[in-house]
Amino acid sequence: MSLRQKLLLLFSLTVAAAVAAVAWTVLLRVRHVFEQRDQEETALFVYQFQREFQHRSAEVAAAVDRLAGSEPARAMAFELAQSGDAAPYLTEAQTMAQDAQLDFLEIVGPDGNVVSSAQWPARFGYPEPAAAEPAQGTFLKREDLPDGSAALGLFAVRAIGGASPAVKLVGGARLDQGFLADLPVAPGMTIGLYSDATPEQGQSTGGAPVAFDPARLMGANEAVAGAVHYRALIDAARRSGQQTNGVVNLTDRREDSLNATAIPLKNQAGDVMAVLIVGISRASMVEAQQHIRAMAYGVAAGGIFLAIVFSLWVAARVSRPIEELARAAEEVASGNWDAHVPARGRDEVSVLARSFNHMTEQLASQRERLVQSERVAAWRELARRLAHELKNPLFPLQLTVENLVRARALPAEEFDEIFRESTATLGAEIANLKAIIGRFSDFSKMPRPEIERIDASDVVARVHALYTTAHQTPEARGAAIQLNLDVSLEPMPIDADPELLHRALSNLVLNAIDAMPEGGRLTLSAHPRGERVELRVADTGEGLTSEECERLFTPYYTTKQHGTGLGLAIVQSVVADHSGTITVEGTPGGGATFIITLPRAL
Amino acid sequence: MLRRCAISLLLAAVALPAVPRTRPHYGGTVQIEMAGDGIHADGGLVLRFVLDGLTRLGADGTAQPALAVSWKSENNDHRWEFELRQGVQFQNGFPLTADRVVASLNESCNGNCPWTAVHAVGSSVVFVSDAPEPNLPWLLAETQYLISLTDAGDGKTLPCCIGTGPFAFNNQDQPRSLVAKENYWGGRPFVDKIEVVTGRAIRDQWLDLSVGRADVVEVPPEDLRQAQQQRLTIVASPPVELLALAISATGALANPTLRGAIAEAVDRAALFNVIFQKQGEVTASLLPQEMTGYAFLFPTARDLNKAHELRGGLNAPPLILGVEGGGAMMLAAQRIALNLREAGFDVQPVDSNPMQHPDLALRRLPMEGTDAAAAMEGLLRAVGEPAAVSRQSTAALFHAEKEFLDQKTLVPLVDLPRAYAIGPRVRDFQLNADGTPDLASASLEDAP
Repeated sequence: MSLRQKLLLLFSLTVAAAVAAVAWTVLLRVRHVFEQRDQEETALFVYQFQREFQHRSAEVAAAVDRLAGSEPARAMAFELAQSGDAAPYLTEAQTMAQDAQLDFLEIVGPDGNVVSSAQWPARFGYPEPAAAEPAQGTFLKREDLPDGSAALGLFAVRAIGGASPAVKLVGGARLDQGFLADLPVAPGMTIGLYSDATPEQGQSTGGAPVAFDPARLMGANEAVAGAVHYRALIDAARRSGQQTNGVVNLTDRREDSLNATAIPLKNQAGDVMAVLIVGISRASMVEAQQHIRAMAYGVAAGGIFLAIVFSLWVAARVSRPIEELARAAEEVASGNWDAHVPARGRDEVSVLARSFNHMTEQLASQRERLVQSERVAAWRELARRLAHELKNPLFPLQLTVENLVRARALPAEEFDEIFRESTATLGAEIANLKAIIGRFSDFSKMPRPEIERIDASDVVARVHALYTTAHQTPEARGAAIQLNLDVSLEPMPIDADPELLHRALSNLVLNAIDAMPEGGRLTLSAHPRGERVELRVADTGEGLTSEECERLFTPYYTTKQHGTGLGLAIVQSVVADHSGTITVEGTPGGGATFIITLPRAL
Repeated sequence: MLRRCAISLLLAAVALPAVPRTRPHYGGTVQIEMAGDGIHADGGLVLRFVLDGLTRLGADGTAQPALAVSWKSENNDHRWEFELRQGVQFQNGFPLTADRVVASLNESCNGNCPWTAVHAVGSSVVFVSDAPEPNLPWLLAETQYLISLTDAGDGKTLPCCIGTGPFAFNNQDQPRSLVAKENYWGGRPFVDKIEVVTGRAIRDQWLDLSVGRADVVEVPPEDLRQAQQQRLTIVASPPVELLALAISATGALANPTLRGAIAEAVDRAALFNVIFQKQGEVTASLLPQEMTGYAFLFPTARDLNKAHELRGGLNAPPLILGVEGGGAMMLAAQRIALNLREAGFDVQPVDSNPMQHPDLALRRLPMEGTDAAAAMEGLLRAVGEPAAVSRQSTAALFHAEKEFLDQKTLVPLVDLPRAYAIGPRVRDFQLNADGTPDLASASLEDAP
């Protein structure tokens, strides 16, 4: 990862973390505020309902009061008390309930038995325990109906004045869907009434509420949707007898949830007769939250995008001089000593750039001086070698010519003899001079390599085959040299000029053979070494000193008596032309190993 | 009998206006209103205006000649021969013949007849039965066996109720308007016309009566007391209907012990005293005390403990109580359901549906006439127990009734009268033995 990428990542992460932290804090706070507001709204609706409930209670009590104080009721009570005959009043409760718009009304005689019942006319003559309730206020009661069902009602008991013992009216209004429909309901509000079908169903054995039945949760106009989801809330209210609040999730979507309050409705004995559910939809709150969240995400995304752009700019501004320095260093490393880094400003990076530029200028200057001195030294060495090489044949030539001049004074036969011998010597030395000049010419005219994809094992095998054949000639057998081949089976592709490489390896093999005049073992090997291929030519000859190892590839340096010192220089040149390296390992008497490493073709 | 006569005299005294009696006038139109349709309900009230039976019941409970002028039994009441009245014509002018009578009778009981075969022999109608049928003359007076023309001879279907009665439908398209038959064999009725208004609520009938839009209106037993309090002119019959709880002997109540528990659990007194406002009489027997003299032997008191004892640990499934008619009948059914709930039965009253076979049924069974044997046989036939009832002795009658009631398939509850309120211009208004009005002998005060 580059410096710029690291800087960019660091800046981006820092900004993103900061934005996320701010967004999370804002959203948390917004959610808290919304939920608080929603709960306050729910509490307000619950309060309104409780007021409405009290209002209905007062209405029921007033209606029963009016009936009890009416003249027909007083006359009826008087007649009942006088005659004790309840038969004529069988349908009286229905008429009175209709007039007073009450759902339930029972006329209870002085004996506590029903005289007339509006909701269940056939119930005359049966006792009505509710008539024993105090004649004040209202109370909840579950009323049995002729069809076997039961209905919950808000009841009031009043004695009809003027008769003693008292004839009582037990009147009430039904708490059913109609009652719910009359309650003030705001948009998004759900109200429901859960009640057990019969008094026996309200409590199971042991006093615990019976199992929740979703079908018994009625809404204002229809069954409450998703009634089963109210179970926990209703059961909690039924068990505790206390008002219970909670969130009811109707589906997996947060919008389909309500802030619900379960209000237990109790009779005078404190038993929970029913549970009223007031639910406020959280859809608007959730939608507002989602809107705010979407905006927060948008702002955060925009902020992060701007932060990335800014980070790019900053990272580029910070990393560009360093990158230029790195690039320049790479150029210097690759041999371009003229690399120059722009130095802007006065910061530490610009100081570094100027120092770098100064360093490269110094290095270039020193290299130029070194080249000049090496060039002079090379010319001197060349002159010395030329002088040395040419001096050897020139001396016989001089002697031959001087001998020939002196021989001119000899008789013709002797002169002819000497002339023939001298011309032969002259010819041989001149040929020797041509050979010396030819080798120097070859060194100066190294051909450019013609690169192709080859396998290193093929080159090694070819050299091995050539010298194995040559070594089997009668002349070579006396040397007793054992040629070994150690080539990896793994493919070792390289981009190389096979002829030049062959020449280089052959040169090394010839040197090894020369190094083992008493015979020995010569091993050619080729093995992959990671991304490179390693070729080795190892012998068991005289070996090399460390000084010889260091100077061995210097042109014109030789350890041989008649060597020119150009062979290994040519080998090094070939290896260098193939982007490879050549080294030598050896100890005196322990043989020597030349190691050529070449880049492996991909 | 004495009590019944006393009640009749008292009611008649109330009904008659306290004005000097004058000779009845012919003419005028009587407006009569009813809650039902007058044919299938209301005791076949309208049918009684247009149809006659072979016999009719007299005030003394005897079978009187009607379309048959005489009859005789042979072979120990296995064969009866009824001689038809001559010169009688149907409303459309067709003469009354023995064949037409036979056709009408065969259609009337649809196989469930008190006789095995009936056929015409000259001007006589002959009934043959496998078992002795001593009550046939009384049975033939029932509404069920009134004679109507069933076939005009051309194969066409005739409209309803072409008979030989004192009135005839003015127009078959408007069957609620009847006109007096000038050549009625029993003499022309005093009134010229009867206008029948059907499907009218009781309170509306009373309102119409009070404002003069109706001359005769119905007064159900449960409203009789209120009608009296409102000083309506009431004409009431002796008990002519039996309110009874029919219990199916199959299904959930196949066990007679359970049926016995139900019979013991019903509170007859509450039905009589409150729902039916003490009209008629509480009964646990098929026939009234005045008719048989032994009805007191069947206890009417409720015994809830015995009901629990009989039910024991047996649990009957939820039961359906079918109710014929609404109003007081439904209220009575709800009361019975409440009684039975106390005895451990879960009973749900529902409107009776002919397609259903409820476990229990609250029924009003007609109890026509004052002849005990004939009335009992009629009742038994009405509940699907066709058995000839001997006329030999009251003891035999008692044993037959007890044997039937011990099956606990029918629980008698209350004997109910039938009553009507009449307007001030109606004179000589009487009721037939089955409690239906006899408008043939009534007249109008202001008739021309």
